[in-house]
Amino acid sequence: MATLLTLKRRIKTAKNVSKTTKAMQMISASKLKKAQDAATSSKPYVEKLDVLSKNLAQKIDSDNLHDYMKTPNVNSKLVIVISPDKGLSGGLVTNLIKEVIHQGSQAKTYYITIGKKAEIAVSLLNKEIVASFPFGSTIPGFETVYPIAKIINEYFLDKKVSEVNIISTKFANVFTQIPHATKLLPVKLDTETKDNNAVTLFEPSVGDLLPDLLQHYLEMVIYQSFLESYASEQAARMIAMKNATDNALGIISELQLEYNKTRQEKITNELLDIGGGSQIAYEQ
Amino acid sequence: MKLILEVITPIKVILKEEVDEITIPTVNGEISILPGHIDLFTKITRGEMIIRRNNKIEPFAIMGGFLEVTKNHVNILADYAAHVNDIEIARVEQAKERAEKAMKEKDKELGYEQLQDDIRRAALQLKIAKKHKSHSRTS
Repeated sequence: MATLLTLKRRIKTAKNVSKTTKAMQMISASKLKKAQDAATSSKPYVEKLDVLSKNLAQKIDSDNLHDYMKTPNVNSKLVIVISPDKGLSGGLVTNLIKEVIHQGSQAKTYYITIGKKAEIAVSLLNKEIVASFPFGSTIPGFETVYPIAKIINEYFLDKKVSEVNIISTKFANVFTQIPHATKLLPVKLDTETKDNNAVTLFEPSVGDLLPDLLQHYLEMVIYQSFLESYASEQAARMIAMKNATDNALGIISELQLEYNKTRQEKITNELLDIGGGSQIAYEQ
Repeated sequence: MKLILEVITPIKVILKEEVDEITIPTVNGEISILPGHIDLFTKITRGEMIIRRNNKIEPFAIMGGFLEVTKNHVNILADYAAHVNDIEIARVEQAKERAEKAMKEKDKELGYEQLQDDIRRAALQLKIAKKHKSHSRTS
């Protein structure tokens, strides 16, 4: 019977699919552990750096401001989008691109894309991409940050753009990854809490310290986004592949049931045929 | 009165505790911080950081970063920091050899600066570990 054979084939296909998705799930799970460690371990550092930069910014006079703190008077933006290179990660990329569209404005916007998915999506939106980097399939090293920081400096310090934003996926936990836009530059000053009475010693001098600190701050924030994007990618893929495996197993059991029923029906029919045939032979 | 010290590196929070005195290398030379120090912000360099707590001395290897003192809170953001007891001389020596070898063979992947950094770090670790290892067990 033709249906029996087709059912058998479909079961085999579903089994193969489930094997592949199971393997991908395992790979992501093992990568996730490392990625999660990397992302969470550098978090306190970045947060402290953030506090330090903002504290320091409060303690300096307005004429000592570094260029990173001033807003150039031009109506354009630079946006950095970080996505994975590969798909099969559930709604991760879609949600990220939605955020990119949501953040789009009337102002002229330049894009730096990291990851193939971001590159494809942004070019489909007919936006101007000034640079595109691959994301890679391992934990990104710190050196990946330098070329990006260099381009940011080129655009921001030469006053081609008035702000720099970064759109990436924040790693909340294994089940939730939130696309998020962070304002990178200009570094916002918290003038409300400005404390003029505190005397702070700067060694060697504010002018020497501030550029170094802010440059480091910039690099660290970008790097942290990289790490969180990577962790999010692995988590999203693991969950997506787990769902795919579960679905495949569900389909397999359904098909198996269908197969058994059909097989049983076929046997019953054959028995009826034999029974009917012998009845006729007996009567004759 | 004590100082509340926090040493954080990109890899982990090295320590967060109350101490009596911190001696640390900065770009302007080595400084010691005691409770009641004026608010300070400076850059730290490669070298040896010594913490005194209840008259016990604890040496650390430290590399690059920033130091902030605000009202008896000392925040140190370092590129790298490790307690002398956490440095394993044998492994460091291996790492140094590897880095030097890679440098000779001009490893494109890691890059010259990265390797030079590795070698400097290894040299620092060795120097501090060898200096303190002998009596660190008893202190």
